[in-house]
Amino acid sequence: MTATEIIVEAADATPPRSTRSVGAYLLIAPAIVWMTLFLVVPMAMIVYVSFWTQTTFKIEPKLTLDSWQTFFSSSTYISSLWTTVRIWLTVLAMTFLVGYPTALFVGLFVKNKTLQTTLLVLCVIPFWTSFLIRVLAWRPMLGKEGAINILLMKAGIIQQPIEALLFTDLSVVIGMTQIYVVFMVGPIAFMLGRIDPNILEAARDLGAGFWRILRKIIFPLSLPGVVVGAIFVSVMVLGEFATSAALSGRKVNLLGNIIVTQVGSLKWALASVVGVILTFIMGVVIAGLLRIVDLKKEL
Amino acid sequence: MRAHVAEGSVLRLEQLTKRFGDRAALDKISFSVNSGEYVSLLGPSGSGKTVLLRAIAGFEAPEEGRVSIVGEDVTRKPPHLRGIGFVFQNFALFPHLSVFDNVAFGLRNGGDKRTESDTRRRTLEMLDLVGLNGLETRGVHQISGGQKQRVALARTLVIKPKLVLLDEPLGALDANLRMRMRVELRRIRERLGIPFLHVTGSESEALAMGDRLIVLDRGAISQFGPPGEVYEHPANPNVAKFLNCYNVFDGSVQGDAFVTNHGPIPLARRVASSTPAYAVRYDRLTTRADAGAGLSAAYIASEYLGSAIMHFFETPDGKVVELEHHLSNGPPDAYEAGRTYRLSWRPEDGIAFV
Amino acid sequence: MESRLLKPILAVYVGLFLLFLYGPFIVLGILSFQQGPEGGPQFPIQEWSVFWYKHILGLAPPSRVSPLPIGISLTRSLTLAGMTMVTSTVLGVMAAQAFRRNFKGKSAAFYLIVLGMIVPGVLVGLGSALVATTTGLERHWYSTAFATHVVYTLPFAFLVMLAIFNRFDASVEEAAWSLGVPPATTFRKVTFPLIFPGVLSAMLFAFTLSYDEFSRTLFSSGREQTLPLAIYSTFAVEIHPNVFAFGVLTTLFSFALLTVYAILMTLSVRRAKRVAIQEAV
Ligand SMILES: Nc1ncnc2c1ncn2[C@@H]1O[C@H](COP(=O)(O)OP(=O)(O)OP(=O)(O)O)[C@@H](O)[C@H]1O
Ligand SMILES: [Mg+2]
Repeated sequence: MTATEIIVEAADATPPRSTRSVGAYLLIAPAIVWMTLFLVVPMAMIVYVSFWTQTTFKIEPKLTLDSWQTFFSSSTYISSLWTTVRIWLTVLAMTFLVGYPTALFVGLFVKNKTLQTTLLVLCVIPFWTSFLIRVLAWRPMLGKEGAINILLMKAGIIQQPIEALLFTDLSVVIGMTQIYVVFMVGPIAFMLGRIDPNILEAARDLGAGFWRILRKIIFPLSLPGVVVGAIFVSVMVLGEFATSAALSGRKVNLLGNIIVTQVGSLKWALASVVGVILTFIMGVVIAGLLRIVDLKKEL
Repeated sequence: MRAHVAEGSVLRLEQLTKRFGDRAALDKISFSVNSGEYVSLLGPSGSGKTVLLRAIAGFEAPEEGRVSIVGEDVTRKPPHLRGIGFVFQNFALFPHLSVFDNVAFGLRNGGDKRTESDTRRRTLEMLDLVGLNGLETRGVHQISGGQKQRVALARTLVIKPKLVLLDEPLGALDANLRMRMRVELRRIRERLGIPFLHVTGSESEALAMGDRLIVLDRGAISQFGPPGEVYEHPANPNVAKFLNCYNVFDGSVQGDAFVTNHGPIPLARRVASSTPAYAVRYDRLTTRADAGAGLSAAYIASEYLGSAIMHFFETPDGKVVELEHHLSNGPPDAYEAGRTYRLSWRPEDGIAFV
Repeated sequence: MESRLLKPILAVYVGLFLLFLYGPFIVLGILSFQQGPEGGPQFPIQEWSVFWYKHILGLAPPSRVSPLPIGISLTRSLTLAGMTMVTSTVLGVMAAQAFRRNFKGKSAAFYLIVLGMIVPGVLVGLGSALVATTTGLERHWYSTAFATHVVYTLPFAFLVMLAIFNRFDASVEEAAWSLGVPPATTFRKVTFPLIFPGVLSAMLFAFTLSYDEFSRTLFSSGREQTLPLAIYSTFAVEIHPNVFAFGVLTTLFSFALLTVYAILMTLSVRRAKRVAIQEAV
């Protein structure tokens, strides 16, 4: 066979391969186009518009840093930035503290598969009701004449109703913790469920106490779950505005709330600035969390 | 079965090459299968048997070379236009369909439109041929392994493919069933006269079923010929090794003898080969008399194989030598574990690859 | 051993944890039976009544509490959820099908799709509202909001289908092709019936996520409110137990949906069992 023949044959033989990937491109194209048009373009638009000129009710594509200056020179906006970070860190810590023992029980202590599944399903069921209804449900719980105050007073623990329960930071944190804790429990329980019981046996045989085993073995092995849970919770809390609106009586203003009010008064450029800042924070948080463990390797 | 071999090839491969990354899984494979022929394909695990069948069927696109079916180049045709049947090792039955619907599937959904009554008739005929009558309405999870095998075969044969590729079709069955299915497979095929290209992991299967035998090694054809010929005259030490009936010794030719670690062996048959080795069939060895060539080894153990018994010996440097005694030649000898015996054979039974 | 004591302690803790998760619902359920129209959204229950349920359904006599704009917004939400479900499931199945092969830019495509579930709703809503205002497009629940909903639900449908295809034995498709059946027919007659449970899950995901979605909808739906937006607008004003009654009703609706899903799933489980048994052989 001559060299040319080989080349011609090789060229002839390629089509089946490329037709196949053409098929793959055709199948994936609609999804890619959709995500590009309705996700990438809008996100890019936020960045772009943050440099536009804002007049009373309109924006014009004249590039300026005005809106950025407005944001960074206003104590209201800066303080809402810190509120967002504070609420986020508090909720993150709370979901971890409240969720870890539950995950420990479900993932490690419950050996029965059916019971394990039942408990997990019980955790997920609340998601089948409206998110907003779940937020609202805290109002009659936490109010001055709410269920918690009534119970505490009936039990004689307190004489006066605690007013700090509703329309404060606390109520926002309680509400968010209840809504998002499951995203922490799930991944951690999943990682704990994969721990080989023999390792724990061996450690116990070596005379290690439970706390030591928890610190030295169980926690490190569950760390990827914690990170995944933390990413879920962070992304959702950072983008929040409804829980704070409903449970803080407008006292807690997160960046999300700022965006909502700015859009409400047609201040698109400033809303965009806040959007860019929010995106940036989120990127940093996710990147930081991913540095803790190599998820690709662990999962 | 030679009577079935007619003029003209059904399948022709020319220089077929398939690479994964920069490793060639198939390296310039060329051969043809004639109409009515039963070709077996034998080779060690990872030699490319499955890849070869998949490339012929069109599931895998070769980088180079050509596949022709009845004279037509189908290299670039999608699988469903090639007219080649494929029987999978795991059967790959349609789990959501009944036995009948599995078999009728190709007739109903294939290229040619036919009436439902024609489909029914042909499906029932085929079910009858493979011995599945009465099971039509069963789900495919409600039948045995052997019955699944028959469904897989019936499903493929009912559309009258020009060629059927079988990838270790009997591999998932137990030994007993495998023997029965072997006979069945041959009977069914003879009734229909469709050429088969059958990948098998078992050398006895290849010997019993094929008109011709292809030995594949590392993506290339080592030998292609009638099974008897391949068995009597392996083309190189590798073929001898995985035919699984040869003792193969390393060494080199010095003058009139093939010198191994176990001593020199007189030379009779020589075959040209890139690596030197000496091969002698298990059933040519004896301990009863010195037949001319031989070596000393200690007895380890024996194993009954029904019609034969395998005796295992070990040379002082740890090479296991096998001796096969056919029970038709009288009762087996009794050996004493650990004792050294002289294993010998006639020099003309040995093959020296030089 | 400390852990012997630990297990019961943790069990009690998990009990409390579940109470924490469910407590608000229980209270909400109880208060939805508050007397109306004078009874407020708090304890004590003055008198048990189903007034607020009647109020929701428009059967109560007119009072100072204006009825929730449920009828029309419910229709919108259901229509939107249906549209989103169909679109994202179709796109998700196609994309997952493409992912069964290798192609250039595969991992970039993966991240692009998954991004849709990571980016917070406010941002997606804000972005599409910006695109709409600057291009002069009108925003409607069935156009801009629909687009952002699919951005959100498509990744879920895609991931579900990816998991399904991961466990899918492709040799049944190859078997069909080798029987002369064209790829499109093979998909319809073999692949689709076998991945149907997965498709059902993807649909369920997409429907409920869209039905409940409001942070994307808030900026992108224009004047006509969807159901979650109607609820959200009650955040600003004084709330009445009618919202609670409504919460009970939507929860019941969700469970009805879940039951339909469970029934459809059980029907296709027989098929799945067959697959399992065949694979086990
Ligand atoms: N999709 C693939 N990607 C990369 N390498 C592959 C692929 N399929 C097969 N190979 C490689 O090609 C070679 C031949 O594989 P093949 O499956 O044909 O072996 P085989 O002869 O059928 O073996 P066995 O008897 O074990 O089934 C092997 O080295 C295998 O690792
Ligand atoms: Mg194979």
